[in-house]
Order: sequence, then C-alpha cells, then structure tokens
Amino acid sequence: MSQFDASATASAVELAPAPPGRRRATRRAGGDRPRRARRTSVFWLSAPLILIAVTVVVLPWTGLLHDPHQQDLGNPLAPPAVLSGGEWSHPLGTDKLGQDVLARLVEGGRLTLLIGLVGALVAIGPGTLVGVLAGYCRGWVDVVVSRVIDAQLALPFILIALAVIASQGSSLPILFLVLALTGWAPCARVTRSVAMTVRERQFVLGLRAAGASEVRIVLRHVVPNLAGTIVALGTLQVGTAILVESALSFLGLGIVPPDISWGAMLASGQDVLSRAWWVAAFPGLAITVVVLLVNLLGDALLTHHDPRKRRR
Amino acid sequence: MAAEPTFETAPAARPDGDLLAVRDLTATAALADRSLTLLDGVSIAIAPGEVLGVVGESGSGKTTLARAVVGLLERNVSIAGGAIELAGETIVAPGVGATDQARGRRVGMVFQGASRSLNPLIRVRRQLAEVLRRHEPGISRDDVTRRSEDVLREMRIEDPDRVLDSYPHQLSGGLRQRVAIALAVVTRPSLVIADECTTALDVTTQAEVVRLFRTLIDDLGLGLLFVTHDLMLASDLCDRIVVMSQGRVVESGPTAEVLDRPQDPYTRRLLAAVPTWTEGVENPHA
Repeated sequence: MSQFDASATASAVELAPAPPGRRRATRRAGGDRPRRARRTSVFWLSAPLILIAVTVVVLPWTGLLHDPHQQDLGNPLAPPAVLSGGEWSHPLGTDKLGQDVLARLVEGGRLTLLIGLVGALVAIGPGTLVGVLAGYCRGWVDVVVSRVIDAQLALPFILIALAVIASQGSSLPILFLVLALTGWAPCARVTRSVAMTVRERQFVLGLRAAGASEVRIVLRHVVPNLAGTIVALGTLQVGTAILVESALSFLGLGIVPPDISWGAMLASGQDVLSRAWWVAAFPGLAITVVVLLVNLLGDALLTHHDPRKRRR
Repeated sequence: MAAEPTFETAPAARPDGDLLAVRDLTATAALADRSLTLLDGVSIAIAPGEVLGVVGESGSGKTTLARAVVGLLERNVSIAGGAIELAGETIVAPGVGATDQARGRRVGMVFQGASRSLNPLIRVRRQLAEVLRRHEPGISRDDVTRRSEDVLREMRIEDPDRVLDSYPHQLSGGLRQRVAIALAVVTRPSLVIADECTTALDVTTQAEVVRLFRTLIDDLGLGLLFVTHDLMLASDLCDRIVVMSQGRVVESGPTAEVLDRPQDPYTRRLLAAVPTWTEGVENPHA
C-alpha cells in the first residue's frame, strides 16, 4: 500500500500547481480530512478519560455525594437505585458496611488513576532510558544491562512485592517502588531491541556522516522513532499498574483502609459477590473502562505520531 | 556569515594539490579469533572537480574505503596504516579518526537507498535545517530557508517549498534521492562520497541522478568519490576509475583507458560480466 500511496502523493507534489499563500502545500485534494479525523479520534478517546479524572477530583467537593467513609450498619448491601429495593440516596447501592458505593467509586478513582499514571511513568522512564542506552551504545553497556534485565525478569513479581512491602511496610511510595522495580525490565528489553534496529537505519549513519553529535542523534532522531513503542508500552503499563494494585490490595499488600482504590473495592466485594454483585462490579467496570480507554488512546496517539500512518 | 547567496565550495582545495589523497591505507577488522585485512595499501587521489569511480565486486573494500574517509567505520575496524588527507590536512591515520568537523562541512555522504537515509518522522525542511545549523551555528532562520530552497533548486526540484514541507514517504524515490543528495551538499562540502547511491533506483532515475551529479560537479567544482558496482554507470560519470579487488587497488586510470584496455585480469573478468560493454559501446566521456 505504502509504495503505491507514496508515488501517487509524490506525483501530486510534483505536478499540482502551488496554491498561492498556503504554507502546508503537500496535501492532496481533500487530504485534510484524514488528518482531522485522526485528531478527532484522539480527542474522543482522551475526552472521556479527562472527564473521568475531572469527575473524581471535583465531585467530592460539591457535597452531592455521601462521605465515602460514613458507615451505616443498618443499611448494608443495599442494591443500586434501578433495582427493586434500591433508593436514589445510594444510586449504586452500598457495601457490607453500608458505605455508599458511588462515593467510594469516585474517591477510589483518584487514587487508582494516580497509581495508573505514576505507576506507568516510574516503569517507563527508567526502562526506556536503560533500554535506549543499551540498544544504541551496544558493547559492554548492552551486555551488563541485558544480564540485569534477565536477572530481574527471572524474579517472580509477587516475590519482589512481598519482600519490599514486608520490609518497608505498605504505602503509596512503596507501591510505586514495587511498580518501578517490576515494570522497568520488560520496557527496557523492548526499547533496547527497537533502539538497536533504529540505530542500524541508514539515516542514523547519514546523521553521523553529517557530523551530528551522538547525544543529538539519540534524543532528536532515535527516541522519536521509538515514540510509538514507548506510547504503546506506557498505555499497557497504565493498565498493568492498576491491575497490579488491585491484586496487591486483594492480598492486603496494596492500599490499606481507610484509603480507597478500585482494586481495594474489588477485593472487598469478593466475599459478597453472590449476594451483592454491585459492590465488586462497579469498580471492576470502572477499571475495565479506564484501561480500555487508555489503550485505545495509546493506539490513536501512536497513529497520530507517525506521519506514514496518518493517511489511512 | 554574509547573507548573499554563495555557491563557492568551502575553501579546501589547494590549487596545485589533490582534494583528497588516500595514501597506502590499510584497515583491519578484528574478528573473534583473527584479524581480517579489509584494505591493503590502498592509494587514491581526487582533484577538485573530478569524479573518481571506485568499482569492484561485493567485499572488495569499496564501502570500507568510503566509510574510512568520513570516519564511520564499524566498531571493530581500525586503521592499521597509511593516511587520508583532505586538502593537505591529515584527517585519518592510525589513531586519528575523522573529526566531526570534517564530516558534513567538508565531506558530504550519500548512501544507498535514499528512503532509508531520511528520518521518516521529520519533514525535509527540518532535516536540512538541522544539518545547516550544525555546521553554521548562529545561521538565521531566513538564511536556513533560503539555503534550503536554493539547494533543492540546484537538485532541479521545481517546487522546493512543497518538498520542504513533505515527509520523506510523500516523495517519489527519485525525489527522495535528490533530497538525500541535497542533505549531503547543503553545507557546500568540497568532497562528496556517494556509496552505491544509485543501486536501489530504476534505470531512468539512475540516469537522472548521474546527470545531477555531473551538473553539481561542473557548477560547484566539488570532488566526487563514486562507489559503485555498475560499470556502465561509472563509465558514464567518472573521469577516472579505480578497480578494487580483495582490499587492493588492482587497476586505476582514466575511465576510457581502464574500460577499453584493461590490464589486470580481474578488471577483464569484471568487464566480461557486462555484455554490452564488450560489444563495443562507445564511452560518452572517452
């Protein structure tokens, strides 16, 4: 496809008369539309995410919600409002302590989104740095880094998590430490291999022939060519971080009460699942929707970033 | 730097001497268990405004020679002896690598496969600007634009503005190759090295590139080291030819002389492999 497309575009570039005063003159007739469509898909995917983020931050301030920590032992496991027996005072029902599920969902969303975002950054940042360094420099740097990655990947995640949390206690910074420790190695391995292929591309040799410095080549040319991979890894890592937190909370190693996260809510709904599915289902749904949106957004960003893919 | 257009090459060539002189160059590659001689006492010289063709089969050392001049040898390859002089100044010798300054500013390089020698994510405008800014720090934005447009016009690109605003994948193969050549000559180097730069192109585009090189050499007076395995193409463009085999220069001389009256058995074999030549096609530059 690309060959045909490229030559068609090229002939358009060569033959079509220049419209006076237009700066971006390389479009085909109507070539504006695909690009706008692509922007739109990035918009439509990021908009709900931003909406969710704004909601979980702003809604508690409005006073419309119950106190997420307010227990009402006289009204445990109340069903959502739309089901029989439900009341609009608790739109999504209550959990086994009579706490409002909606209020807890909003409150837990803050921490969960924070964990997803920061958890991805602490893994992707060092992972990319080390991976690019190893892939571009090769030689002994690569050997050392690769062996450390192997060693890291050989350690089971749960073992690292247990060791760190047992010795340092359970807190948010420790959770990020666990996410960084377990997340950097896969990122480093992938970015290393992509950096190695980019490094061998001829334009890198051309840049060196033109006298560009290695630092500039890496930062301005190699890393942008890795951006697609980094974005893909990053969005996956957001999902992973949220799920890891859920798993750790389930084991009692993650977020400890009174703090709330979706993972912790999911875990607390487990034992009442047969009687009151809504306690676990809503945080589960929230996790699914957010992880899905983040992944789709990553895909849209990736397409948006690569000019070769924009025209499809 | 003055703002008026300049078409002179960098002041590099001594009026009497060679632009590029490779003297007795020996390069070895360190393998796991032994070392391999890639270049064995190679000597070549290029005068300003001259095209030297380097021909030979794969593995004959052509590319190693070209890479040595710009200091882009593979990590395990080292210069064991000899020297490379650019305008009388030693730029490569054992223990001396071509400096960053020598690259780009004084020596430009064009590679095989132009589509791969441009960064696919960056518009042509920024790629040209980057090379210009690298070698002429402090150059004004207007100068960058003007020089970029000028160099594309020299490449016989009718509509430089559109090409500048294009991504590489939006250009045809011929245009891309011309942009790649523009990148190599935009800083007005005195020497251009073309390493198999026409190999991946179709025949008409090859002819176009050859014509373009001829014009550039005549207009700018730069020296060209043209590495190729295509004897017909070399005969079309080159003033002199060096035949390489197994890391050595086996024959060298004016194009017509080498191709019409080959002395070395290897050159004869090479020529015999090109049927049209032995049937007596006239060399247009003879």
